Amino acid sequence: MVKSSGEPGRGPGWIERISFTALPVIGLMLVAWKLALFELPVRLSWSWVPALGIDLAFHIDGLSALMLLMITGVGTAVFVYAGGYLAGHPGQRRLYVLLSLFMVAMVGSVTADHLIVLFLFWEATSLLSFLLVGFNHERPESRKSAQQSLMVTGAGGLALLAGFILLGQAMGTYVISDIVVALPSAEATPETTAALVLILIGAFTKSAQFPFHFWLPNAMAAPTPVSAYLHSATMVKLGVYLLARLDPAFGEWPLWEWALKAAGSITAAWGMVLALRERDLKRILAWSTVATLGTLVTLVGLRGEGATVAVGALLLAHALYKAPLFFVAGNIDHGTGTRVIDRLGNLRHAMPWTAAAALLAGASMAGMPLSFGYIVKDVILDAKSAGDVFIFAKAANTIFGAVAVAVAGVAAIRVFWRHPGVNETCEAHEGGPSLFLPPLILALAGITLGIFPFFAQELIAAATGAMTPDAEAVAFSLALEFGPVLGSLLVTLAIGVGIYFLWDPLHRLFERVARLLGRIGMAAQYERVLHWIPWVAAVSTRALQNGSLPAYVALAGGTVTLLLAAALVSAWTDLALPSIDVWPGIGVFGACVLIVVGAVAACTQRSRLVLLLAAGLVGYGSGLLFLFTGAPDVAYTQFTVETVFVIVVASVLLALKRQGRATAVDERLWRPGAFVLASGFAATITALLLVATAGDFNTALSQFFADTSVPEAYGRNVVNVILVDFRALDTFGEISVVLLSFLAALPLLQALKRAHSARGES
Amino acid sequence: MTAVLAFSVFVTVTVGLYLTMSRDTFRCVIGLAVLGAAANLVLFAAGRLGSVSPAVVPVGETVLRDAANPLPQALVLTAIVIGFALLCYSLVLVLRLIRDARSDDALSLRHAEPIPDDPVKPPAAAPGCDVRWPPREGSS
Repeated sequence: MVKSSGEPGRGPGWIERISFTALPVIGLMLVAWKLALFELPVRLSWSWVPALGIDLAFHIDGLSALMLLMITGVGTAVFVYAGGYLAGHPGQRRLYVLLSLFMVAMVGSVTADHLIVLFLFWEATSLLSFLLVGFNHERPESRKSAQQSLMVTGAGGLALLAGFILLGQAMGTYVISDIVVALPSAEATPETTAALVLILIGAFTKSAQFPFHFWLPNAMAAPTPVSAYLHSATMVKLGVYLLARLDPAFGEWPLWEWALKAAGSITAAWGMVLALRERDLKRILAWSTVATLGTLVTLVGLRGEGATVAVGALLLAHALYKAPLFFVAGNIDHGTGTRVIDRLGNLRHAMPWTAAAALLAGASMAGMPLSFGYIVKDVILDAKSAGDVFIFAKAANTIFGAVAVAVAGVAAIRVFWRHPGVNETCEAHEGGPSLFLPPLILALAGITLGIFPFFAQELIAAATGAMTPDAEAVAFSLALEFGPVLGSLLVTLAIGVGIYFLWDPLHRLFERVARLLGRIGMAAQYERVLHWIPWVAAVSTRALQNGSLPAYVALAGGTVTLLLAAALVSAWTDLALPSIDVWPGIGVFGACVLIVVGAVAACTQRSRLVLLLAAGLVGYGSGLLFLFTGAPDVAYTQFTVETVFVIVVASVLLALKRQGRATAVDERLWRPGAFVLASGFAATITALLLVATAGDFNTALSQFFADTSVPEAYGRNVVNVILVDFRALDTFGEISVVLLSFLAALPLLQALKRAHSARGES
Repeated sequence: MTAVLAFSVFVTVTVGLYLTMSRDTFRCVIGLAVLGAAANLVLFAAGRLGSVSPAVVPVGETVLRDAANPLPQALVLTAIVIGFALLCYSLVLVLRLIRDARSDDALSLRHAEPIPDDPVKPPAAAPGCDVRWPPREGSS
């Protein structure tokens, strides 16, 4: 009866698994239903943080719908697959919860119409990717990969946020659909250019574009359902989605176009080269995913509607063949315990269904006729020959196509039909239907769309319309034809088959090259930076927190000086300069002379008693100044306090003298560095005082006290009235401070007294 | 008048910070006192020096006219008392330091700092401290 509840430590029961799986299924049905019923785009908006102008705004157009279908469709397959792949695993429930949260975050990301809302969902996907990559957290390499993917995508997310804020402030709105409309006619300012660069960094880190490509293959430490979902079909496409979303806005900018083309082409070519280097089937697929993402970015950067059609078609096709291939890799891992292609072969007898799925998906990946990959290849070829593609993109495309053929051959033919030297897979077995049905169905969908491409026609057309809003209704048709594309296909196929047969020698060659490049590569730089963080922290802590009191004072004083001086200099033109006003009376003048003489004496005297008296002179001088400027109350207080202070300190000094500590520490009297810093600080304060008093004076508050002191508080001495009436709480606080300092000093004094009496007794 | 006052402020602030940056903890306390006096002067001067008659309403009148600005006076009054409390507390601290650490040299107060030959975290000032760039490989 309670079997379905799934005890802790065991996997969830079948009811729970079905409930979790229902989530993407319902999502998929909802998306399909809405698509069938409503005209796109759909807009939804709720006020969320009105003070900051942030609305929960959502906007579903053709591009969002395409992404939504992939998220829920592949999501359904992944949820079913996860049920079989991790059957009995204690962490299966955690995986389901994380995957469900991830799906919600993805849905939010591709439908958000507000930059900040988009960013929130975007970050959520990064965080969930961290948790999912680190799913097997007992393994150190898993934790390391999770950390790496979070560091790279998280840093990119910060750049993205900065870019979004810059863009939003420059455009005056954070609503994406408004920005896309307004930006093409706006002028390029330094702010928008900076925003463009930052957004590019954010998108490139997410979609693993060069030079941030290295994190994606390491993220393969995740369980296979996660790799198939996050790191192939959905999350890594977010960057491409964002670029495609903003392409109507930035598309005309040369910087945008060239950055996309360059980064995309380099990523496509380099990803394919690195795919040849690997022996692990999952990592081979990961690198080919990186290459596909590069192709997608290049296509976004290309002008013309043809390229846009290709983006939509390739997004869909890739989800339909790469996710099944990942599932196949997972099945092989599940059935044989290894993914290293040298130890695999002739698996078709043991795993017939998986072999069938691999063959179908591989055909689509290689672009064989009668598969959706073939249609896409046709569209891409059209786009690239129509667009002003530079030669590198074409070369990258050919490499991409040929290596895709070879990778498909390895994943679909080599491990299932051929017999390598060592075969350790006698124990191989097929998993249950939940393991081979998801890849089979997804791959079959790819083949169906290849034979009847008009099924995808409307969806791709809607996505294209969303990416090129200005253009006329894009006239294209996804059709199965055997025109010139067949010729180029044959060339690609021939090279691909060549690579397939030369896989092992090529592998050895690329392994050597990649190892050489690895030392200066981005992954190595990342490691170096990571290694330096604790070192920098240690050194800066040691340098700043060095245990020297004078250094702390100097640091604080220097910082205040720099900040104040910077504020003064930056506002210099707006400031009123002081003028020589009234010549002071003899009393004020005398007081100032007293202050100056006392101060100068204080820093030139070595004897402590003289030092104290000189400081007292400064205090008495200020008291005298208060007396001659109409502040007798302040003056009396100052005299009293100064007298008590001098008496107290003098008695302390006498006590110290009895201990033989009457003289100062042996320190040079003249310290030039300290003097320069001190006078710089003083000059800043003085300048501040001069410009402050030269400015206009707001007398409203003083006038209020002058007017209301007698009628409302019945006091004639306005200063006293302020202290005990208008600002009584302030005075209360002051008394509390005095009391607190006494309380704090009391135990210290008692300890001193105890020590003194103890010495007296001994 | 402001110019003369500003000059005294300049001198007192310089001397105050200069003394505070001393190794001698007693001089630090005196430096605090001088800095406090300077701060009071700045606060006072910011309220403008004008009339020299005290802010007291004469008998028979209800509104204060032609007198010194009462607001900065009230503020400075508070500041003087608080400054005094702060000074007394810091003086007691210094006394306790002299008693416990047997030194009034601020640089010798290193009980909370790592010892010079600490192999893990040597102090930056120590001769054996490893502050090389780049850090040693494999030390993490």
